[in-house]
Amino acid sequence: MSVENNRNVGQQDYYMVDIEDYPESNWDQFKQVVKRTFSTELFVGLWVVLREMLKFNIHTVKYPEEKLPLGPRYRAIHEMLRLMESGTERCIGCGLCEKICISDCIRMETKIDENSRKEVSEYSINFGRCIFCGYCAEVCPELAIVHGGRYENVSEQRAHYSMFDDLLTPMDTFKAGQQKEFPGFGAIIPGSDESVKKTPLAY
Amino acid sequence: MSKQINFTIDGRSVECQSGESILDVARREGFYIPTMCYLAKATPNASCRMCVVEVEGVDGLVLSCNTPAIEGASITTESDILYKERQNIMKLYNVNHPLQCGVCDKSGECDLQNKTTEFDLAEQTFATQEQKRKKKKWGVLSYDPYLCIMCEKCTSVCNEVVGSEALYIKPGGYKSVIDNHFGDCIQCGECISVCPVGAMASSDFKYNSNAWELQKVPSACAHCSSACNLEYEVKHSGIDSSGSSEIYRVTNEDDFDSLCGAGRFGYDYENRVAIKDEKAFNSAVEAFKNADTIKFNSMITNEEALILQRLKDKNGYRLVNEEARNYQNFMNSYSSVSGTSLYSGDLQAIKDSDYVITLGSSVSRDNPMIRFALATAVNINRANVAYLHPIEDYKLENLVTQFIRYEVGSEEGVMAMLLEAFASDEAKEEQKAFFSELDMGYISGESNVNEDEIKNLKSKMLRKKSPVIVIGADVMAHPSSSNIAKMVALLEKSSEFKVVIIPTNTNTLGVSMICDLDSEEGSSVVGYNVHAATTLCALGDGDLDMPALNQQEGTFTSIDKRVVPLNAALPHAGYELNDIAIALGVESEETINYTSELPTSKGFKSVEFDSLENYYTNGGEAIRGYLLDNKKIKTKKADEAISNITELEDYNGSVIYSVDHISQFNTFTNKTHQIIDKANLIGSEQFAMAAKIKGGQKVKFMFNGKEITRVFNLDSHLKGTVARHSTFDLHDSTSSGKYRYTKVQIQEEGN
Repeated sequence: MSVENNRNVGQQDYYMVDIEDYPESNWDQFKQVVKRTFSTELFVGLWVVLREMLKFNIHTVKYPEEKLPLGPRYRAIHEMLRLMESGTERCIGCGLCEKICISDCIRMETKIDENSRKEVSEYSINFGRCIFCGYCAEVCPELAIVHGGRYENVSEQRAHYSMFDDLLTPMDTFKAGQQKEFPGFGAIIPGSDESVKKTPLAY
Repeated sequence: MSKQINFTIDGRSVECQSGESILDVARREGFYIPTMCYLAKATPNASCRMCVVEVEGVDGLVLSCNTPAIEGASITTESDILYKERQNIMKLYNVNHPLQCGVCDKSGECDLQNKTTEFDLAEQTFATQEQKRKKKKWGVLSYDPYLCIMCEKCTSVCNEVVGSEALYIKPGGYKSVIDNHFGDCIQCGECISVCPVGAMASSDFKYNSNAWELQKVPSACAHCSSACNLEYEVKHSGIDSSGSSEIYRVTNEDDFDSLCGAGRFGYDYENRVAIKDEKAFNSAVEAFKNADTIKFNSMITNEEALILQRLKDKNGYRLVNEEARNYQNFMNSYSSVSGTSLYSGDLQAIKDSDYVITLGSSVSRDNPMIRFALATAVNINRANVAYLHPIEDYKLENLVTQFIRYEVGSEEGVMAMLLEAFASDEAKEEQKAFFSELDMGYISGESNVNEDEIKNLKSKMLRKKSPVIVIGADVMAHPSSSNIAKMVALLEKSSEFKVVIIPTNTNTLGVSMICDLDSEEGSSVVGYNVHAATTLCALGDGDLDMPALNQQEGTFTSIDKRVVPLNAALPHAGYELNDIAIALGVESEETINYTSELPTSKGFKSVEFDSLENYYTNGGEAIRGYLLDNKKIKTKKADEAISNITELEDYNGSVIYSVDHISQFNTFTNKTHQIIDKANLIGSEQFAMAAKIKGGQKVKFMFNGKEITRVFNLDSHLKGTVARHSTFDLHDSTSSGKYRYTKVQIQEEGN
């Protein structure tokens, strides 16, 4: 498999879980019911709870005071990134995210700006429809639209975080060097430097 | 007659006429040959060399676009050698092509993009020193020389199809760019439509939307009687979910057909209404119940015309539309001699012609498609074009071989001179009374047309095979129009001439065949798109809002005598004419139910609206609606006689000619945001001197009983004492049916 197609970039330490076979005949089902009714399986569970309670070793995460770390490829509310060098938005208004969106929730308007460049004048993602599939981030040629880590979507209005200006990295965050690249689908994959060929342009 | 040829393409035997190119035949028969520079409507540029094919027994590759097929040839359109050849061509096209597909408007419908993918060019391996070039903006047109691939399609449409010769190539090898003689550019946008890449772009549409987001609605242009095929490209407006949509641009089948500036840029004239205004509707119905006259213009569909006629049949309204009535009378007089209900020519006849006479029409302004057809005739068939008109049109100087200026009002005499020159001896014998009375010296003196000019015109006819005469709107409203019509018919009958009688407004031909029109208004008038006591209007300033022609379904009858379908690009929330008809007891659920009820006695066919087609075949044949039947009409001997030429009314002093700007046609184009020509009075130095006014001055004069103020502009190209007066902003001008020349007293504003 070539480097471009190998998308498995995580830790691959998976193992199989040992699961008992499902009963196949009626007789097997009957045997399973009898076995579960008259064995002490129930008390095994109760014992584990009691034991852990006495040990004061509780694993429950106390959300919202405590939050679990997110996986690097977690796909929550989108973000629009800025260019590292100039701080202007990366989005060029190509419209590929709008086209590829399978739940048809991205809408954008573009126009010509005063420098005769294409500019996004309006942009919104309808998060009532978004299924967070990540296609938009994957298709974006500029690494402009990415998924962020915001999974708490409670707000008075969804519109509070679905417009272009809300998605764009705030300037102070950007200046503080806090803008993060997205490592998920669409990001630069390991080893891509070697596979990039220079465009022959003799300027 | 060209003879039939048989040859084979990829092993399949095909037939064609001799002289047809291999590419044309292959495409018509469904074979695919890629091209970058080929345009079916113009002569081949042969600049891309993509269309190469292999011919058995011939060394090397043959350009299929400019090689005529020969009997028995065996042609291969696909092989490894051809693939390699085409791949190499694409590599060259891609040299230094900017990698800006992400923002380019053409992305998604770009020939360069498509063929680069088709020939599997994943990477570019060579480049050249980039040149410094300048991006240009020419009005509605923007040119980006970095994107230009020098296929020369734009220059060939500008020269051959439009005939304005504005675009040209500044040669210089890799430095070559396209440039524009801007003064000659008529802002038609044909170059934009044919550009295979994003080099020629619409200034207004630039970066507004991606091509793939737009929904195409095939329809017909509503601005003149050519009713050209076009596609409205529609998308939701803004990012909110209100559901409102707008037309982003207009495109057409640019390989085979053309659009003028009005069609391409004058699309946003829709009448936006939020809700059905019940109160206005009820009072409009009330007004109809009390009215005895319906006044309207010809910017309506055939179906609406039929609704009006049904209302007349039921409630006895008088239908008043002077402009269509003039046309109707003209056609009736014409039929009384020719014995046919319709004229014989069409736009294709003009394109195929080698000898064209136009009489009484400012063709580049009245009907741009005639101008385009003339350009094709001149450039492809080397046609001789004679332009008979009181005002010389310098926008046509590339096309017109002979310009014959006649005095205002002398159209009848001029037609008689043409008839005398071209009619056969039998016809002259038949109309002996007329021809014996004809005093050529007198006519020549009155019309100021030298007999030598006509002789010269006739001498050019030698060896010409397919002459066409085009009759324009000036003649329809002439006091002796009926006599002129008879002369036109006699000319058609007694010579090789085909006749095109330009319908004066979009659907004048349809209206004149569907409606029985009255001449006198009654006491209580309801106007439809014409101002009256109660006005139904699609412009948004009447008493009840009506859908504009881009919001309606229906049909037009075009200059080609074709009934073409029209689809709604945008919804209309308000009422339409059919709702009023239902309230008045003329019931049919939908307006388009009337399509199949159009009068078959007049040549319409009983065809449902939904079965009307609107597309082009691979061979370029337009499958649009259906052609009207040209009915035989019994002629009466008494009606046939042409009466003698009447004496002329004097047109001395300041005379103004009602004619609009090249893309500015009517109150609807005036509403659109890209067509910005202002209404004015344009005259020569001579006119200014006679009227004692200066260029740039505001002047006032009486026109059709109303005082009008206009800015007077001097035009150094114009000659003579007739000024051009634009009337597109006047509500009733198109339906007034008055003779287009008016004597006026011009005063400076403020005196």
